[in-house]
Amino acid sequence: MSFFITEKCIGCTLCKKLCPVGAVEGELKERHRIKERRCVECGVCGRACKQEAIVDSKGNVMKAVPKDQWKKPVIMKDKCSACSMCVWNCTKDALRIAEPAFKGDIRVFAELSDPKKCVGCGICESVCPLHAIHMEVGGQ
Amino acid sequence: MNLPVYIQIDLSTRKIRRFQIDKKMFERFIGGKILAAKLLYDMTRPGIDPLSDEAMIIVNTGPANGTGAPSSSRFNMSFKNLMTGGIASSNCGGNFGMMLKKAGYDGMILTGKADEPSYIEILDGDVHIKNAQHLWGMDTEKVQEEFPAHYGKIVIGPAGEHLVHYAGVLSGERVAGRCGAGAVFGSKNIKAVVAYGTKRPEVYNKEKLDKHVEKWVHFLQSHPMTGTSLPKYGSAGLVTKANATSALPTKNFQRGFYEKAEDISGETLADTKLIRNMGCVSCPIRCERRVKVYDKDVKGPEYETVGLFGANVESADLDIINEINYIADIMGMDTISLGGTIAFAMELKERGIADFGVDFGETGNIPEIVRKIAYREGIYSELANGSKWLAEKYGAEDAAIHAKGLELASYEPRKSVGMGLGYATSNRGGCHLNGGYLALLESVGVLSTDPLETKGKPELTVLMQNAMEAVSGSGFCLFTAYSMIPSILFRLGPSHWITKLCGKVLVWVWPVLGIIWKFMPWILPFNSMFLLPHAEAVKQITGIKMTTGRFMQLGERGYNVERLYNYREGLTANDDSLPGRLTKVPQDKNPKSVVRLDKMLPRYYKVRGWKEDGSPSKTKLWQLKIFS
Repeated sequence: MSFFITEKCIGCTLCKKLCPVGAVEGELKERHRIKERRCVECGVCGRACKQEAIVDSKGNVMKAVPKDQWKKPVIMKDKCSACSMCVWNCTKDALRIAEPAFKGDIRVFAELSDPKKCVGCGICESVCPLHAIHMEVGGQ
Repeated sequence: MNLPVYIQIDLSTRKIRRFQIDKKMFERFIGGKILAAKLLYDMTRPGIDPLSDEAMIIVNTGPANGTGAPSSSRFNMSFKNLMTGGIASSNCGGNFGMMLKKAGYDGMILTGKADEPSYIEILDGDVHIKNAQHLWGMDTEKVQEEFPAHYGKIVIGPAGEHLVHYAGVLSGERVAGRCGAGAVFGSKNIKAVVAYGTKRPEVYNKEKLDKHVEKWVHFLQSHPMTGTSLPKYGSAGLVTKANATSALPTKNFQRGFYEKAEDISGETLADTKLIRNMGCVSCPIRCERRVKVYDKDVKGPEYETVGLFGANVESADLDIINEINYIADIMGMDTISLGGTIAFAMELKERGIADFGVDFGETGNIPEIVRKIAYREGIYSELANGSKWLAEKYGAEDAAIHAKGLELASYEPRKSVGMGLGYATSNRGGCHLNGGYLALLESVGVLSTDPLETKGKPELTVLMQNAMEAVSGSGFCLFTAYSMIPSILFRLGPSHWITKLCGKVLVWVWPVLGIIWKFMPWILPFNSMFLLPHAEAVKQITGIKMTTGRFMQLGERGYNVERLYNYREGLTANDDSLPGRLTKVPQDKNPKSVVRLDKMLPRYYKVRGWKEDGSPSKTKLWQLKIFS
């Protein structure tokens, strides 16, 4: 299953730029297309598209959401083991393992190092083996 | 049950075949090095040249890869061993295994030879062989920068291109070094394989797996070895322990104690050079060191590199060790075989046999020499062939420290005789890990079974070899198996009477261990966090009814298949040997400080159910259902 781009698309390339897995193809001012095998149905394209040109896998038209309302990962330090699954799976380079608090500190955690880069796809939440990440509006 | 999907690429004809591993095969061989050994045995002809077009290299994953289970990033490569002529398996962390699965495949099989320098791109299940002329010649760091950061990558460096016999393959900064995988890729004209996709690894029971993983991670974090020592000091934390028990190879394995060991210990590294620790993807142990070399933040050395470029060449310069480690990585070489070969070259010079411009105690010129070896420049081309080759040309075979052709790791077996037996019997040659790593129970762990006692060691070696084979085959890092040693013993310390008693018991229960093997699949019909938590994870991931007993038998099956491959290639009991220095010359005044293979091997074969020539018996093959 995959999301789909309708003829409402004006080819603004925003979804292509934001898609965290590179699933959107298309040139400027041309209708874009979503590669079915690549799409992870994160909804980033739908939340960003003001033309309402994105349809989810159930056929519902996605509504645009203002950027400040996009969810961001909140990392629960008591659960995080710094295993880096989230860091390695974040293609936007928004997460990292925090620097040690002091020399020799081995208890480190994942952190949202660059909230501006985060598109709120939630892939980090889905791959965290310890369920130490949940997505929240205004979270970071 | 989701069966593994493999892709077979014939580079000569560019034919690509996708196939699924059948259910019976999957249940018996699971994946990783175990399944790869079986595939290699079935799909290749005996006696092939490891660098010929006909040679096959299998890059595959185990069921755990990519699931998020602790320390499950390790992918495997199996091929015909350049160093030994037998089987080779080499694995490392990095993100390639996870990404290969996300791209849609559990394994990749390469045969043939590309007609021009090429790289393979696997995206969402689609495979393309592309021209890599522009990448050829690049070091492993530069070539990886040519691809998107989030792609899973395996690459070779100049050493692989120049067919250095111990050239490795890198994924990120992690190195699958041993046995010459890099040269096999180089011989096939393949510079890199990259993979990316978004497919999720399918898990039989996600809920139960998640619960198990959560408990397991906490268990690893609370264990003194995986939760404190390894994250703080890395594997180099073993230097002090090995030196204290005279098991730290010094001056090309002439001694086991180095006076300046403290200067190169994991503790000193942590105090003076360490920037921070890091980990492979999915690993909560995080043993990787980060240090500065040429003002860059790079991967620091492991215990083996510290031992072999420190004590074994009589140098206590951590800066040079870090530099050698970095150069070997970017050139794409195994630091164990490289270190062993250079130490042997030093001894050749000391004895006045051959001069490669290397001397004990002088390591300042080694980084440059490492580069020359990678490019096979002048006389250094000879060092690129390894110790066995050098000994065949120049003699001094007693001082060429290898087993079956593969250089020994940084554990001096005369003060860890079980490790000696492991080195000799290891299917891939002188490897501590494939050899069962008995050094952990004899010289570098908290438990100290008598390191000179030969009784009980064959049984313990078989136990450890099988357990580690199964852990590797499933896709886990072997460091997760450290937790098999109860944490209470670490808290009590090595000198406490309970710890000492446990060490003694381990040796003296050998008759019991011998009997246990006869009933293995049935004798441990449960899974436990304290024994091998990997078994429960495999059960929840695959849906196979895995128990600890079956898991151990899986390891035994893998070990036997590898042995069969070796036997078919002409390696017999005669090759289960060590150089004369280790088997004939005691390390110190104690005449027992020598590896008595003559005492241990017959018992080892008996426990294994192998014939006197070192080949698995028909009964054993039938019991393990290898061909039925």
